[in-house]
Amino acid sequence: MRMETSSLNIIMQATFWGTVALTIAGASIAVFPRNILYNVLGLALALTSIAGLYNFLGSFFIALMQLLIYVGAICIAIVFAIMLSRPLHLETPPRATPKVAMGVAASAVFFVAAVSVVLKTDWLPSPARVADASLWSVENIGHALLTRYELVFEVISLVLLVAIIGAVITAGFSRRLSS
Amino acid sequence: MNSLATYLIVSALLFSLGLIGILLRRNLIGMLIAVELLLNSANLNFMAFNRFLTPDPVVGQIIALFVMGLAAAEAAIGLSIILAFYRKMHSINIERAQRLKG
Amino acid sequence: MGAFFTDPILLVTVLGTNLSFLSMVVILIFTRSDPKLSSRISVGAISIAAVCAVFLLAKLYGASPLQYQTLWLSSGKLNIAFGYYLDPLSLLMLTIVGVVSCLVQIYSLGYMAGDPGYSRYYAFQSLFAWAMMNMVIAGSMLQLFIFWEMVGLASYFLIGFYYEKWSASQAGKKAFVMNRVGDVGFFLGLIWLVIGFGNLGIPELNHAASTHALPQNLLTVSALLIFCGVVGKSAQFPLLTWLPDAMEGPTPVSALLHSATMVAAGVYMFSRIFPFFAASPDAMAIALAIGTVTMLLSSTMAMVTYDLKQVWAYSTVSQLGMMVMALAAGGYFAGVYHLTTHAGFKALLFLCSGIFIHEFHTNDMRIIGKQGGRKLKIPMVCMAVGALALSGVYPFSGFFSKEAILGVLAAKPNKIWLAAGLFGAVLTAYYSFRLIFHILLPKGGIEGKHHDGRAQSAHEHEDEHHGYIFWAMAIPVMILACVTLVLGFFEHPIEHFLARPDMVHTVQLSVPGDFAGAPISTLREAGSPHLPEHGGGGSDLLLMGMGVSAGLSGILLAWFEYGRKGASRKGFLSYFPAIWKLFDYRWYIDIFYRKSLDSFVYSGLTALFTKNDRRIIDGGIDGLCFFTEGSGRLFSFLQSGMLQYNLLIMVLAAGAAVLYLLI
Repeated sequence: MRMETSSLNIIMQATFWGTVALTIAGASIAVFPRNILYNVLGLALALTSIAGLYNFLGSFFIALMQLLIYVGAICIAIVFAIMLSRPLHLETPPRATPKVAMGVAASAVFFVAAVSVVLKTDWLPSPARVADASLWSVENIGHALLTRYELVFEVISLVLLVAIIGAVITAGFSRRLSS
Repeated sequence: MNSLATYLIVSALLFSLGLIGILLRRNLIGMLIAVELLLNSANLNFMAFNRFLTPDPVVGQIIALFVMGLAAAEAAIGLSIILAFYRKMHSINIERAQRLKG
Repeated sequence: MGAFFTDPILLVTVLGTNLSFLSMVVILIFTRSDPKLSSRISVGAISIAAVCAVFLLAKLYGASPLQYQTLWLSSGKLNIAFGYYLDPLSLLMLTIVGVVSCLVQIYSLGYMAGDPGYSRYYAFQSLFAWAMMNMVIAGSMLQLFIFWEMVGLASYFLIGFYYEKWSASQAGKKAFVMNRVGDVGFFLGLIWLVIGFGNLGIPELNHAASTHALPQNLLTVSALLIFCGVVGKSAQFPLLTWLPDAMEGPTPVSALLHSATMVAAGVYMFSRIFPFFAASPDAMAIALAIGTVTMLLSSTMAMVTYDLKQVWAYSTVSQLGMMVMALAAGGYFAGVYHLTTHAGFKALLFLCSGIFIHEFHTNDMRIIGKQGGRKLKIPMVCMAVGALALSGVYPFSGFFSKEAILGVLAAKPNKIWLAAGLFGAVLTAYYSFRLIFHILLPKGGIEGKHHDGRAQSAHEHEDEHHGYIFWAMAIPVMILACVTLVLGFFEHPIEHFLARPDMVHTVQLSVPGDFAGAPISTLREAGSPHLPEHGGGGSDLLLMGMGVSAGLSGILLAWFEYGRKGASRKGFLSYFPAIWKLFDYRWYIDIFYRKSLDSFVYSGLTALFTKNDRRIIDGGIDGLCFFTEGSGRLFSFLQSGMLQYNLLIMVLAAGAAVLYLLI
């Protein structure tokens, strides 16, 4: 048992850190290369790895949703946009060094700030915390969505409606104007 | 693995990478991709807190869900704006968007 | 107000002095368009004023000085009263001013007839009369100063009467500014007195000075400063060049203001506070020096000019210098007596010149002589009378007053002053008779008047000669000539009259509105002016001889050069062109003033102010504009329209804030 626990532990650890590595790698591919297709693929990798992290955080429902929404819908949409705008044939002007330096410095500053906050704070779990496995079920989430967070649910659907209409209009008008 | 700090630091790292992407990339779609990274890092933060600190674990998951929904809406609109911009300028270089220069 | 109507003297005083003010107001506001009415109002007012003055003189002859006062300004320990101080000196001067003003205004009826500014002229003449009379009987130095300034204002108006003429308005300005420069010193002296002595009343001042109650440095400094006022008003060196230029005004104005009364105001003020001045030997010494220099300088200037009025103007300056000399040497009576006689014969000389100028339309004595000046009998005779009086010939009034002055100068230990006085007498006689001979015995005989093509003008002039214009101008001239003849014999009565003051009778008037108060009358000590004693009989006759011979030698010299037949009429000075130029250009005083004005005021101060205006004030405002524009440009540079730079700043700011809060 002990050996099983420890080897299971090691496997778990290795998987966890592998997922983290994939996330970071994906994010880096999403940001640094110039080829936009590389960036999209990197984004897809990162999002998938984050779904894996959600699994580690106990919610496989959210992991599923992540894969469905982000990787399945958003990344594909981005690919469509790439196809419609043909950026690969367009110019790539040189980068200005001060801008690069300032940008890197800004995000470095932010990173340092965030990490210091994380490390300095004494994170206290809430005393009302109950170790009940049934709270983590999908049923619970559905129940909450339709009772307690009903308003938020409806509002988000409204937002999605507005977004769709807005997207259609924005893309549609300019087509009419440029034709 | 079982400490909150790990997840928070990972999310901070993701956020910084997203920031670099926004500040440095001139390709509009590249910026959009970086924005997705930002949103995801925030989501990761929420899920981490949900796992370790909150009394009711449902809340964090619902928040994450809604953030995802909003990200989708925003991505859709963003992409249509990029398309409109492309039709106008025939380029998706953000440095061409200087009509508001004063 | 109760005392006002019960006291006839106060009533007469107020009436006499302020009637001219009413006349001026009425003329300026109501009767400007009616010249005849304006002149009648003004002449009426001044006649009543002259009658009042004579009445007061007669009533208060032999009485102790009378003072009316009411408290005007009270601040802490300082109390300044306003009112009238009627002592022998002020009554004498009041009479002089009243009578001479009256005669001159009657003369102006003829001289200024037909002038478009007739009403304005009479309005300003009334202003002058009012101001002068109030100044003469002023009870405190501040009141005297205020009316002193007002007299200067009237002088400015009247000198610049022909204001359309550039030289006239410039002359008016010059007179006013030079007077003002002297008055700065005067006012500073008054302030010094207020600080040191605390009271500006004239009898109080004299009393304190004669009883040696004032500290010496206070006395000297304030006396010197007040003397600056005398220098400005009475045209002493170095502020003497305004008086010759003031001849731009009409001749009656020159007769009244710039010979008899206004310029004498400085000398009058000197004699008013004579005990005060006399108590400071330093101030007296400086005044003596200035008076002598003035007298000699202006006599030389009179020797080279051909302008009729300018000769008498320089002569006025010179005689004023002589009066200042007399007073500064300690001769109170001599100075005042010369003031009196000078008022008479100088006004006479100016009025006669006015008749010549009115007739021949020119100021040049050579042209007047050539065109038959001596055919006008009345002015010629009267002018000769005046010139004889000026030269100090017996029996005219000038002889007696000049003897008095020479006597005072001889009493001084240093004989140089006497020598200067005698030399001045020679020069005076020379230039006066130079003028007389130019008109009386013109070179080459009389050529006759040029008619300029007006054939019937002969008849017009005939009518004019016997119309009211003629008599309006002739009568005052004849009256003054008679006065000049007889005034000399009144020397001793006047001296006796002036030597009176011992106790001052003060009437304190209540402030108008306070009906319960009754006038308080008190008796007080007044300062007595120190009178020089007449020297022994022998030196007196020698002095008289020297004076007479000085005058006669001057006349002889003039006759030698101008009067006798076949004379060259060039004057001995024309052999020295450099000296002639020196005298002609007024010893370069005017040029000096012009140069220093140009270099100091215009190039210096004005240039500084202009630079300040352009560079600092304009530059400042321009700089503000540039700054606004520039900063706007800077801020617009920040609006680059580049999204990523905005984001950059945002992130940096947020990160920095977090770090700051952490650390």
